[in-house]
Amino acid sequence: MGTVKISFKLNGCDMNVEVLPNTLLVDLLRDVLGLKGTKVGCREGECGVCTVLLEGEAVNSCILPAVKVGGKSVVTIEGLVKENGQLHPIQQAFISEGAVQCGFCTPGMIMNAKALLDKHPHPSDGEIRSGISGVLCRCTGYRKIVQAIKTASQAGGRK
Amino acid sequence: MAEKSDKKKKVKVVTKEKEDLQQLMAAPIGLSVVGQSLDRTDAFLKVSGKLSFGADYPEEGFLHGKILRSPFPHALIKSIHVEKAKQLPGVVAVLTAKDIPGRNGFGAILPDQPVICGDKVRFVGDGVALVAAESERIAEEALERIEVDYEPLPPVFDPIEALKEDAPKIHEKGNLLSYNKLRKGDIEKGFAAAEVVLERTYQVPILEHVYLEPDIAMAIPQSDGTMLVEGPMQAPFTVRRNLSAVLGIPINKVRVRQIHMGGGFGGKEDSPIDIGCRAAVLANHTGRPVRLALEREEVTLQTSKRHPMVMKVKIGAKKDGKLVAFEGVIYDEQGAYAGLGPVIPPAGGSHIHSMIMMPGPYEIPNVKVDAYLSYTNHPYGGAMRGFGAPQVHIAHEQAMDELAEILGMNPIDIRQKNAFKQGSVTATSQVLDQSVGLLDTLDSCAKAFDWDRRYRETGYLDKERTKRRGVGIGMGWYRTSIGTSSDGCGANVYVHEDGSVLLFTGITEMGQGAFTVLPQICAEELGVRLEDVRVVQPDTDIVPESGPTVGSRSTTLMGNAIVLAARQVKEAIFEMASEMLAVPMEQLEAKDRKIYDQKHPNQSVLFREVVAKCMGKGKRLIGQGWWAPPMASLDPETGQGNPYFVYTYSTHMAEVVVDVETGEVEITDYVAAFDIGKAINPRTVEGQIEGGVAMGIGYALMEEVVLKEGYIQNMNLQNYLIPTSLDIPDIKPIILEVENKYGPYGAKGIGEMPNIPATPAVLNAIANACGGRVRSLPADPETVYWAIKEKGGPPKH
Ligand code: FES
Ligand code: FES
Repeated sequence: MGTVKISFKLNGCDMNVEVLPNTLLVDLLRDVLGLKGTKVGCREGECGVCTVLLEGEAVNSCILPAVKVGGKSVVTIEGLVKENGQLHPIQQAFISEGAVQCGFCTPGMIMNAKALLDKHPHPSDGEIRSGISGVLCRCTGYRKIVQAIKTASQAGGRK
Repeated sequence: MAEKSDKKKKVKVVTKEKEDLQQLMAAPIGLSVVGQSLDRTDAFLKVSGKLSFGADYPEEGFLHGKILRSPFPHALIKSIHVEKAKQLPGVVAVLTAKDIPGRNGFGAILPDQPVICGDKVRFVGDGVALVAAESERIAEEALERIEVDYEPLPPVFDPIEALKEDAPKIHEKGNLLSYNKLRKGDIEKGFAAAEVVLERTYQVPILEHVYLEPDIAMAIPQSDGTMLVEGPMQAPFTVRRNLSAVLGIPINKVRVRQIHMGGGFGGKEDSPIDIGCRAAVLANHTGRPVRLALEREEVTLQTSKRHPMVMKVKIGAKKDGKLVAFEGVIYDEQGAYAGLGPVIPPAGGSHIHSMIMMPGPYEIPNVKVDAYLSYTNHPYGGAMRGFGAPQVHIAHEQAMDELAEILGMNPIDIRQKNAFKQGSVTATSQVLDQSVGLLDTLDSCAKAFDWDRRYRETGYLDKERTKRRGVGIGMGWYRTSIGTSSDGCGANVYVHEDGSVLLFTGITEMGQGAFTVLPQICAEELGVRLEDVRVVQPDTDIVPESGPTVGSRSTTLMGNAIVLAARQVKEAIFEMASEMLAVPMEQLEAKDRKIYDQKHPNQSVLFREVVAKCMGKGKRLIGQGWWAPPMASLDPETGQGNPYFVYTYSTHMAEVVVDVETGEVEITDYVAAFDIGKAINPRTVEGQIEGGVAMGIGYALMEEVVLKEGYIQNMNLQNYLIPTSLDIPDIKPIILEVENKYGPYGAKGIGEMPNIPATPAVLNAIANACGGRVRSLPADPETVYWAIKEKGGPPKH
C-alpha cells in the first residue's frame, strides 16, 4: 500500500505527514505523533473517549481515516493547555467540580464539551446532556460533568 | 422514641442540597484536611491528557502477545499444531500447555483456570495457545495458522441443570462448586406464625463491567531473574501470588507494579491475573518484554462478569408488616472457572456474601438460606461493585414491595418496621452494636424526596393516558471488609528533611479517589497539607502488603494503618517540638505545617524545622502501620457468626415515568442517602454515589450480556448498552455520618454501596407506575410492556 502525504493543522501547528490510506486518525495522533492524551476504548465509534475536534466539530478519531483531515484543522486535548501551562476553563471546571474519576473518558469528554460550548456558549442542562451523550463515562454518573460544563460556560468557557 | 431522638443528634448531614436539608455541619472542629472536598491529586494530569495509562506506555522493544481462544463452549482438545505459526517471520514464540514452567492454573481463590488449556476447554474464549510476535498484526496472523483439533462435548448453560446427576461434568470434581447454608431460629414455626406469606422468584442476567480502559499487562524480565509485571490492577498481591506459582519461582522474584487505572469496578481484580500470567509466561520463554493488550471484544469475551442468579424468596409476615420468617434459595452461576465465587473462610468470596446479605437489612427471627454455586460453560463470575450483594438486593427489595402491596402498606412503613437499628440482630445473629444509620437514611431520603406526597400523586400525567408516573424505594447494606481471616492492611509513612511526606500503601487508584482520600488522612494526622503528601504507586517490591482494593475496605482499613504509621512519626516530632517550645508533649497540636502549644496558640514552630532537627539528631521519621479488622467468623454449618465488622447503610428513592404503550421508562428524579460514618472527602463520596447509582440504573433498565449456546451476542458497546448522559437523572446524594468506632475519623466504606439499592429502587418505581413487575432483568421496553400486559393492561385510574 502506497503512502499518502497530508498537510493539516494540529493544535495550531502545521503538520506534514505521510500515512497509509487506511491509517486511522487516532493511530496517527497516538502512535506516529506521540500525542497519547486521546484515548481508545472501543475502536468502533461507540464510546467517544477518542473524541477530537475537526474543524471545531467533535469527531471519533478511531473511525476517521487520517487522510480525511488533509487541509483541515484538528485539536486534541493537548491543544487545550496554553503554552504557559494554563488550563482551559473547561479543564479547570472539571477539576473544581469533581468531574474526573478514573479519567479515561475525560479527554474525550472535555473535547466534546469544548465543541458544545463553542457553539452554545450558555447551554441548558438538557443541551449539555444531549451534547455529551456521545461520550460514555462509567464512573461519574454524569452529574458532576454536567455541573463542570455549566461552571465553565459561566466562566466563559468559549476561549 | 427518646432513644431515637437522642441518637439523631449524633447523625451529621453533609450535603450540597441546600433547598430541603439544613446544613448541619461543615468539618468538625479540629479537623482541617479530613472532611474537606479538596481537589483530587490526580485531576490535573487527567484533564490535561498527561496521565499515562497502560496503553500510553512506549511500546519500543516489546513483543506483542496474543491469545488463541476456544471457539467451543465445551470440548476436548485432541491435538494442536503450531509449526505453521512458528514459521511466520516476526513470530518469536508460540506456546501451548506443555510450555508452562510452573503450575498451569490461575485464579483469585482457586487456581482452576488453565493459563493455556491442555486437554479441555470450558467456555468460548478459553485460551488454548499464546503467541509473541514483533507486531500485533503478525501475532494475529500467527493465531490463524495454529491448527487445533477439538472434540465438542455436550455443554451446560443453566446453573440448575448443571446440578443434575446426568449433567455434563465441566470439572472433574463435579459442577457444584459451593453449597452454603444459613440457619437461624425455627423456620417452620416462623412460617406457621405468619399471617401473610409471599413466594417469588427473581432472576438476574450476566453483566459486564465496561470499565472504559481495556485491560493491558506488560511483563518485563529483569537481568537478575526477577519477573516484573505492570498493569492496571486492583489486587497486585494476588497477581504476584499467581505469577510466582505459574512461573515456578519464589514470591520475592516477582515484582508487580501498578499503573494508573481507567476504571475497575471489581473487574480488574481477576483479569490482571489472567493476562498478567499469560504475558509473563511469554516474557519468561522469550527473555523479552511482552505487552498483552486486549481489544474491547476480547475484554467482553475473556474477563470476569457479574454472577447471574435465580433467587427464590419466601417471606412470612404479620398483618402489621412485621417480618417473622425468610426462606431463600440462590442458584448462583459461576461459569467455567472459580474466579471470585468460592468461599475463603470464614466469609470471603462472592457466593457466601450473597447468602449472608440475602435476607436484607431487616430484623427477622427465623431465617433459612440455601445457596448453590454451579459451574457452567459460560464466562466466569467475578467481583462487580457489590460482590454478590446487588443480585440479592434485587430480590429482597422487590419482595418487600410486593409484600407491602398485599398488606396494603406504604413501602416505607414496612421497611421502617423491620429495618436494622442500633442493637439489631442480623440473619447471622450478629449484634449491630454501633454505627447503624439505616433508619436515618430512610428519614432523610424520604424528606428530601418528599415521598409521602409523591407516593400519593402517582398516576397518568397526560390526557392521552400513555405516561404514568411512579415512585420506588430501595434499601440496602454493605460490608466494609472482605470477611476473610487475612484482611490486614499495611502503610509506611516517610517524612523527609524538608517536611515533605511519602506515603506507601498497596491500595490502588482506579478512579475512586484513593490517592486523594488516603493522603488526606495522612496529612491530617501529621498536621501538614494534602499537597505535602505524595502517594507512591503500589509496587510489591516497595509497599507493604495491603490486600486487594476491593470490598469497600480501603478508606477504613488502610486509613487506620496510615493513622498508626503517621502517629509513630508524630511521636518523634512532638518529642522534639516539646523540647524546642519547652511545652509538654500532651499540650501540642500539629496543624497546617506548624506544631502549636494548644494553650498558647501563637507559640509554634514550623513542622519543617522540627523535622530538620529530628533528622540532625538521628531520630526515626519512618512510620509503619498495620491494621486488621476484628476477626471475622461464620459457622460453616449454620452460617451464624460475625462475618463483617461494620456496615454502610443506604436508602434510595427514584421517580420514573413509564410509557404504558411502549414500555419505555424514563427516570425523572433520584435521591440517595447514605450512612458512611465519616466523609473524608465529601465531593469524592458524592462522586462514588452518583456513579454507583448510574451503574445500578443500567442494571435495572438495559444491561445484559446476551448468550446463545455459550456465545456472547453483544461483544461491543454498540449492542452492550450502558447508560449515557441522557439516561441518568440529576442524582441527589445525601451523606450522613453515624460514627464507626473502628474507622479512621469514624469512616466506613462507600465504593460499592451506591450501586446496590439503585436497581430495585427503579424496578419498584416501575411497578408503582404501571403495575408491571419485572422479576427477570433487564426492564427494557419490551419486558416492561409484557409485564404490563401480564397485569391485565395499564391501570384504569
Ligand atoms: S475509541 Fe473511538 S469511539 Fe470508542
Ligand atoms: S471518569 Fe472513568 S470513565 Fe469517566
